[in-house]
Amino acid sequence: MAIRSLFLLGLAGEIVLLVQLGTSPGLVLIPVALLALVQVLVLPGRIYRRWGYDMGDEQLRVLRGFLWRTDTIVPFNRIQHIDVAQGPLQRLFDLSTLIVHTAGTHNSIVTLPGLATNDAEDMRETIKGHIRQDMI
Amino acid sequence: MNDLSASPPPDQSAPFQRLHPLSIILRSMGTLGQNLFAIVVLHFSLLDRNFVHTGLAAAALIALVLGVTALIWSRFTYQVTSKEIRIKSGLLNRNNRSIPFDRIQDVSLEQKLVSRLLGLATVTLETGSGGGEDGQLDALSRVDAEALRDTIRDYKAGLNADAAPAEGQPTSEDQPSLFAMDNRRISIAGLFNFSFVLLAILGAVAQNLDFLLPNDYFDPRYWLAVLPGREMIDGFSFWMRIAGALAAIVALVAVGLVSGIVRTFVREYGFRLDKVESGQHGFRRRRGLFTLTDLVMPIHRIQAAVLQTGPVREHFGWHHLKFISLAGDSGGETDHSAAPCATLAEIDPILEQCAIHRTHSDLALQQVNPAFWWRGTIIATLLLAAIALGNGFLVHRGFLALPLLALPIAAVLFLNWRHHQYALTDSQLFIRSGWWRRRLTILPLRKIQTVDVSQSPLAHPLGLATVTIGIAGGTAVRPLMIRDIGLDQAMELRAALVSSQNRT
Repeated sequence: MAIRSLFLLGLAGEIVLLVQLGTSPGLVLIPVALLALVQVLVLPGRIYRRWGYDMGDEQLRVLRGFLWRTDTIVPFNRIQHIDVAQGPLQRLFDLSTLIVHTAGTHNSIVTLPGLATNDAEDMRETIKGHIRQDMI
Repeated sequence: MNDLSASPPPDQSAPFQRLHPLSIILRSMGTLGQNLFAIVVLHFSLLDRNFVHTGLAAAALIALVLGVTALIWSRFTYQVTSKEIRIKSGLLNRNNRSIPFDRIQDVSLEQKLVSRLLGLATVTLETGSGGGEDGQLDALSRVDAEALRDTIRDYKAGLNADAAPAEGQPTSEDQPSLFAMDNRRISIAGLFNFSFVLLAILGAVAQNLDFLLPNDYFDPRYWLAVLPGREMIDGFSFWMRIAGALAAIVALVAVGLVSGIVRTFVREYGFRLDKVESGQHGFRRRRGLFTLTDLVMPIHRIQAAVLQTGPVREHFGWHHLKFISLAGDSGGETDHSAAPCATLAEIDPILEQCAIHRTHSDLALQQVNPAFWWRGTIIATLLLAAIALGNGFLVHRGFLALPLLALPIAAVLFLNWRHHQYALTDSQLFIRSGWWRRRLTILPLRKIQTVDVSQSPLAHPLGLATVTIGIAGGTAVRPLMIRDIGLDQAMELRAALVSSQNRT
């Protein structure tokens, strides 16, 4: 989000320079700055609060999205394979992303970022036990 | 060849085989056809229209293409073991691929016009993995191709590959077909297959050959100048002009109809759907006028059935039955067409074969929330009003009439809403959608992969949600959805869908 806001600010500055709004650059810069502030201060918290998951006995439920909300259920026995992925920033905080793949054409990849690495690996072991062969 | 493989194949006895030698000619012809143009260009440019030189160049090209194709052919081998098929290919980059029979979704045999003359067939094995076809043997002799298909088909049933063909053949030939289309039926299907492909082709031809046309052919001013006196047109009576416009529309419609019928004939000629009884039960579909295709899809791979129709077609009782599976028909289709133009009475027996039931004793289709159409209408109206106001005062008064467009939009949205329904029975989910392109999807609950409940910012304040069902197959662009039902309803529906999942 912070990166996106910086990008937005940069873009606005560029526009001001290009269009030569000389007299009143604030006309563009102030609204953009406000938008960037909202993006940095408000949205991450809201989006974070909407992220959620529930490991049931038979299914994984993932909630995500602040404006566009999605609530996905993947039955364990429909999962084809599982990834536990870690980016460089995530490695710094010992976090991992759990990615499950189903055979479905829509929504075949369900990701769950920001899990503690231990949790993610435990979840992977749990799900692994339910994977069945030749479901389709 | 055997010493090349790093791990010894499970079945050493099966020999590595090559494709049919005639396939060299088949494939060279394709390459030569592409290079014919280059020869013609050379003839006029570099070779100064000297026929001897051109002939030499052509001979050299033919020799080169034949040689390379033969080399590729000699390095392409395949081996059919008891469990899998292994394909080794590549001139410099050797590729060794093994496809387990377990993973093969369907097998199709294709014969283009030339391969039919040579008695060859291309075998395509689909596993449903992302990137197009996964195993293609181009080409085998027709007999070998059918034998290979039968081997794969019989694998699941544990039949011996040698015993199968003898009794496998007569079952499909002697029994009456499940569904077949005669020429009259194909013409009917073509009528509803209205398309402007022919027009597009003519347009493309015109554009590519534009050096033959006068310079300003596409410039309206040219036409204004050339047409024999605009006064003549101006002089026509009002009705004459109307008649002219009508004639143009009729011509356009005629072109659309004819190209639709021709296209349908080329694709569907001799359409025949059979049930395969031996080995894995499945459907066998044969069709095609120039390019014959012969496809076998196992029944247990079928994920869902789709009945497509339109307002006019439904009036006459015609439906298009498709099956959704991980594999799809060639040419970018995501589904397998099983009956392009059939009555419901003809479709029911086909569906019965794969344990899908079109009707149910307590089938009560439920309507989605009316917000489905009025929300869209309000947004469209507001947008049009904004544009109309902006342009109406700044550009031209005529723009003020723009909001009238909201009426047809509202009508279409309303009709779409009327036709968007769903129903849940103990083993199947029914979803109807679309007014112009009507689709009824019948999905056995055990084929559901994931279920999403999502809310857009526009649905959230109204307490509505959209249920999206992930199935193996179909398009990712237009997934199976139930739009705009109450959030509680959506949650209930999903609970029902998922609980049925865990039982099986």
